[in-house]
Formats: sequence, structure tokens, C-alpha cells
Amino acid sequence: MIEALNIYKSFKNGTVKVLKDVSVKIDRGSFVIILGASGSGKSTLLNVLSGLERPDSGSITVNGQDITSMTDKNLTRFRRVQVGFIFQQYHLLENLNVDKNVKMGADLIKNKDYREIINKVGLSDKLNSKPSELSGGEQQRVCIARALAKKPNLLFLDEPTGALDEATGRAILDYIINLQRETGFTMVMVTHNENIADTADTVIKMNSGKISEIYKNKALKTAYEIGW
Amino acid sequence: MVISLKGGVKLIGISVICFCAVFVCTFFINYYIDASAAAPNVTEGMKAVYEGQLATAKISCALSGCCLTVIAFFMLAFYVKLYVDGHSRQLGILKAMGYSDRELALKFWVFGLSVFIGAVLGCGAGYAAMPLVYGQMTVEGLEIPVKFHFWLPLLLISVPTVIFSLFSCGYAYFALKRPVSCLLKCKTERNRFKIKKSKPSRNGKEHSFLMEMCLKTLSGKKMLAFFIAFASFCFSAMIQMGGAMYDLNSGAMGPMILIIGIVLASTTMFIAMTALINSNIKNIAIMKAFGYSVKECASALFTGYVPCALIGFGIGTGYQFLILRSMVDLFFKEYSLKFDFNVSVFFITLKMKNISVKEVAEEN
Repeated sequence: MIEALNIYKSFKNGTVKVLKDVSVKIDRGSFVIILGASGSGKSTLLNVLSGLERPDSGSITVNGQDITSMTDKNLTRFRRVQVGFIFQQYHLLENLNVDKNVKMGADLIKNKDYREIINKVGLSDKLNSKPSELSGGEQQRVCIARALAKKPNLLFLDEPTGALDEATGRAILDYIINLQRETGFTMVMVTHNENIADTADTVIKMNSGKISEIYKNKALKTAYEIGW
Repeated sequence: MVISLKGGVKLIGISVICFCAVFVCTFFINYYIDASAAAPNVTEGMKAVYEGQLATAKISCALSGCCLTVIAFFMLAFYVKLYVDGHSRQLGILKAMGYSDRELALKFWVFGLSVFIGAVLGCGAGYAAMPLVYGQMTVEGLEIPVKFHFWLPLLLISVPTVIFSLFSCGYAYFALKRPVSCLLKCKTERNRFKIKKSKPSRNGKEHSFLMEMCLKTLSGKKMLAFFIAFASFCFSAMIQMGGAMYDLNSGAMGPMILIIGIVLASTTMFIAMTALINSNIKNIAIMKAFGYSVKECASALFTGYVPCALIGFGIGTGYQFLILRSMVDLFFKEYSLKFDFNVSVFFITLKMKNISVKEVAEEN
């Protein structure tokens, strides 16, 4: 379970306040969507919850461990063991092929069976392709495989479909949601697309650095049932 | 403006190299001119010391001036390339909007500013140090007054500035000659058409991710590998130049030039390390986000360059040895100065016998 209490985060020496007294609880194995307009602080909240950034004040506990008081070394270890990331802009290693990009995640936990995940995301015929030779959807699938190859307990996604067209976006979203339901890892996704919120267990709405609303969906929709 | 002054500030390494080159050249050339003018007053008894001092001025100027100019050219070329590669998207947008290669390349004159600043400061410092230099390079019984030759600072400031500015613009012009689509996608034209397929590993053995990353980073950035080797070459050459000049010159001159050598060597390594880190910053960020430790990131990205650095260091040592030996043979053949290798705490430095030219000349 992730529990964030009274989180504050600002940039530019405190002049730009991005998160203002944010408190949130995320249950183990749930799928949570952080929804908000550009500049609402949703990506910063994701970065803080995942240990990519430290908050100015407040505490974040993940499965009982306070990650805000961890040393850099321990925080690195936390990310290594617990966390997977999927970014909007993919951030693949351009000089390495698909196989090696996924191996990057797999080697962290000495996972020798990472090629099964590449097969699952449908890229077994692109093992030797470089990211620049792949389409946006394929690159995002590499990103997913890379994150899953390290078998994370927590998967953080920052606008994973933001750079994709509707058909590819739906396919990617459907794949991630099904995988989360099968595997049961905790998934936190940031998006500005309100329709996608219907697919999540819990939705956290953000506005101007504060949580404006938290609600749970009763009937979950699939990626093909929502508007885009 | 294509290149901001902030971008120019990053060229401080070029300024330091130019400062040192112009600093050394200013006082040695000035001394050489003034000492040459005093030639009619040289008696037979003074001749040996006088010629020794002239030779010292010539060799110091030739070694430091010429060697540093060549190094500065390479550094600047590399910086322009790094700048074009690092800002290819912005440059691509400007080209797409209709700016010509010529218009964009002309903005790279700013890089010459770093040379100008280094040259001005070097010239000023050179003139400030002149009384000390003249004091150290005296020839007993011969008065060599310090004279200001206005054309000398003009030459030492304007010529490098103009040449380096033209060089920057010219190099940028050719570096920008890529299709707009390549610039926007941050690709070189060669890469656009020739994408290498990964070879299967030998003996069926799989490299670990870190090893693979290390090899790919090295093979993917050959220019950087060359630069690291070159920086290492400069490092060893400059340390040895400083050591040799320390032995060659008498009094306070030796330590002064040794310090210049060490400053230059450190600057070169600093530039190389900065370039290496900057060009891999995205990969480091991704690896760190995924939980790789700083040590693992460093080993994956930098280990491959260690052999390049060692090769550069070795070549630099040999090169400097040959240069020094041939220069000393040329200028000091009558003083029977000798070289020997001296394994110091950190480096294998080439050192002459700890005796200055002036002392040898006086003994003769």
C-alpha cells in the first residue's frame, strides 16, 4: 500500500508551488488513475510517489517503508526492487535494440525469461530492431516490456497513450489493464483523458496542485468501451 | 539568436587553453624580439648564455604556442559538433522555417568570443609577467629592456580570434549540411541510411546489459572515443611539456610553466569528462530511474573509454618525447642536454636532467 501524507513540492526555490498538502492512499493491487489538466501537478505527484523526486515536506510510505527518509542509495534500491516506469516519451536507450532495452529491466532482478514478455507484447520479430526503426505503438510496447521484465510490485505510467493515435492507444491501454488484472501489481497512471478514468478502480482528480476529488468506479470499462 | 552567450560560457576550456598559449607566447616573443635587438652589444663571453636564452624563448614559444593552438582547434571543432548534435532539433526547426545553412552557421562566430577572451586575458597576464621573465632570463653584463611592441598583442589577439571564428562558422556550415528531417530526428545522415543490425554474440554467450551498454556506447560514439583519446594525449603531453619546461627554464619560470602545463592538462580532462557525461545524460537518467546505482551507470558508460584514454596517454607520451628530443637537439645541441625517463608518483614523465639551459650555458 502507498500512503502519502501532507505532501508539498515546489520548484524554482519555492516560487512555483506544484503540490500543496496532498494526502492519498493507494491500496495494494489496485489500479489508480491521477486525472488533471496540464500543470495540475499530476506528473509531479507520480514522480514523488515513485521515488523519482523527493517532496519538500510530508511523508510517503510504501508497504510500511518511509521512502522520504531513505538515503539516495536506499531509494535507488527501492526503485530497483519495487518500481517499474512507463513514460509518455518512451525514453528507450536509442543505441540498443529491443532485446537489450528489455534486458535493461530484466538484468536488475536477473530475470532470464524476459523474452517471454517480448513475445507477449508481440515484438518477437523485432528483437534486433533499434527504437528509431519502430512505430510509436511498438516503442511503447518495448517500454511496457522493459518495465514488466523487472517484475515490479508498483507500476507507474505517465501518460502512456499520450503520444499514440486512438487505435494504438486503445490497444496499449487494453494490454496494460489486462496485464494488471492478471498479475495483480499496483498500477498508478497519470492522464488528462477523462474517458480513460472509467477503466480504473480509483480516480484521483487534481487541480492546481491539490486533490479536488477521489472516487471509486463501480463498473469498470475496458479500453474499447470508453470514448477517446 | 541560435547560440546564446550562455552556450558560449561553456567554452571556458577553450578560453583557458587560449589564455595559456597567448600568455606564454606574449612574453617569450617579446623577450625574443628585445633580446635580438640587443645582439650588437653581445660580447664573446656572453654569447653562450645569450644564445641559450634565445633558444629557450624559441623552444618555449614553439612548444606551448603551436601545440596549444592545435589542441584548441580540435577542442573547438569538437565543441561545435557537440553543439550541433545537442541542438539539432532547434536547428532543424530553424532550417524548416527557412533559415539557410549560411545564416545559421554565421551565428557560430560567438564561439570565437571564448578565444578572444582567453587571448585578451593571456596577453594582459603576459605583459604583467614580463618583468619577472626578463629578470629570470638575464644575460650578465647585457641589458635587455622591456619594450612594448603594439603589433604583438594586436596580432596575438586578433589573429586567433578571427581564425577561430571563421573556423567555427565554417565547421558549423558543414555540420549543418544535413536534411531537415535528420536534424529534427537528431540523426546524422549516415545513420539515416545505414542502421546497423546487432550481431549475435560470439560463442553464443550473452553479454550482461551493463557490458552491452558499455560496448554500444563506445561503438555508437566513435567521435567521443577519439576525443577522449585526444584529451588523454593532451593530458600526458602537457604534463610532460610542463615538466620539461620546468627543467629547461631557470628560477621562477620553471614552476610557472609547470603550473600552466598542469592547469591545461586538468582543463583538457575536465572538458573531456564534461563532454562524455553530457552526451550520455539521457541514458544515465533512464538507468537511474530504473534503479541502477551511480557506480553501475558509471561503469556502463565510461569503462569502454578507458582503453581509449590509455592509448591516448601512451601516444601522447611518445609524441612529446620525440618533440622534446628533436627540439632540444635542434636548439641546444652544443649544450649536451639529455633526456631520461623518470617514473613519478602519477605519471611516466619525460624529464631532462635537473639543470637549466642557463646553468649549462654558464658552465660552458
